[in-house]
Amino acid sequence: MTTVMIQEARARVTPGIFADMPDAAATALPSGESAEAALAFLTEMSPDLRGAAILGPAGEVLAATGEEPERWGEDAAVLFAAADAAEGAPVEQVHIATEQGEVFAIRNAGLTAVTVTDRFALASLMLFDMRSTLRRLADAA
Amino acid sequence: MPPKPHRVLLDRVSVYADEAAAFMRRRRVARRPFARLYYPHGRSADHAQDSRSGAELFVAAGRLIEVAGKKEKG
Repeated sequence: MTTVMIQEARARVTPGIFADMPDAAATALPSGESAEAALAFLTEMSPDLRGAAILGPAGEVLAATGEEPERWGEDAAVLFAAADAAEGAPVEQVHIATEQGEVFAIRNAGLTAVTVTDRFALASLMLFDMRSTLRRLADAA
Repeated sequence: MPPKPHRVLLDRVSVYADEAAAFMRRRRVARRPFARLYYPHGRSADHAQDSRSGAELFVAAGRLIEVAGKKEKG
């Protein structure tokens, strides 16, 4: 039942989900190389981080850890679809803490960063690092 | 005979460290899963795990945790 809901949500909202960014101000798309470098820097700064991805304005994966980069884009779209639908307004940041780990997602300067950390990661630091990474990346572009 | 000044300082640091450790221990025990959304202008909203929106958020988060996989040791 849940999987069906997710697939429906993905099909329904993916094209528009990243256009709803509260701060969709990015004018140029950062290169894959600069996104990779930004992701490496974020990973370096955050010892609790398990995996992360940086997505472009249309939800395309610019850089991601792990062996399934495309899944980051798909699952981030589902996450933001659920988050935006929760109160019918586009969210800026998402923080979900589960028994298995914590998920942070942030949309800034037209870009999106999604990270997964160990439990009890410091949320304010994590979100600050993510936001500053996206800002630097957008400025560089 | 009064204690040496550096002993007093060390004792005080130890007390603070113990307090911090106890706080972190209590936090680990007491903290439950949550889903928190932040909106522009600083507003935030929590969504319970048993609500419809909360359940969708937790499912989506679970998929991302699965993609991230386990942390590499070392």
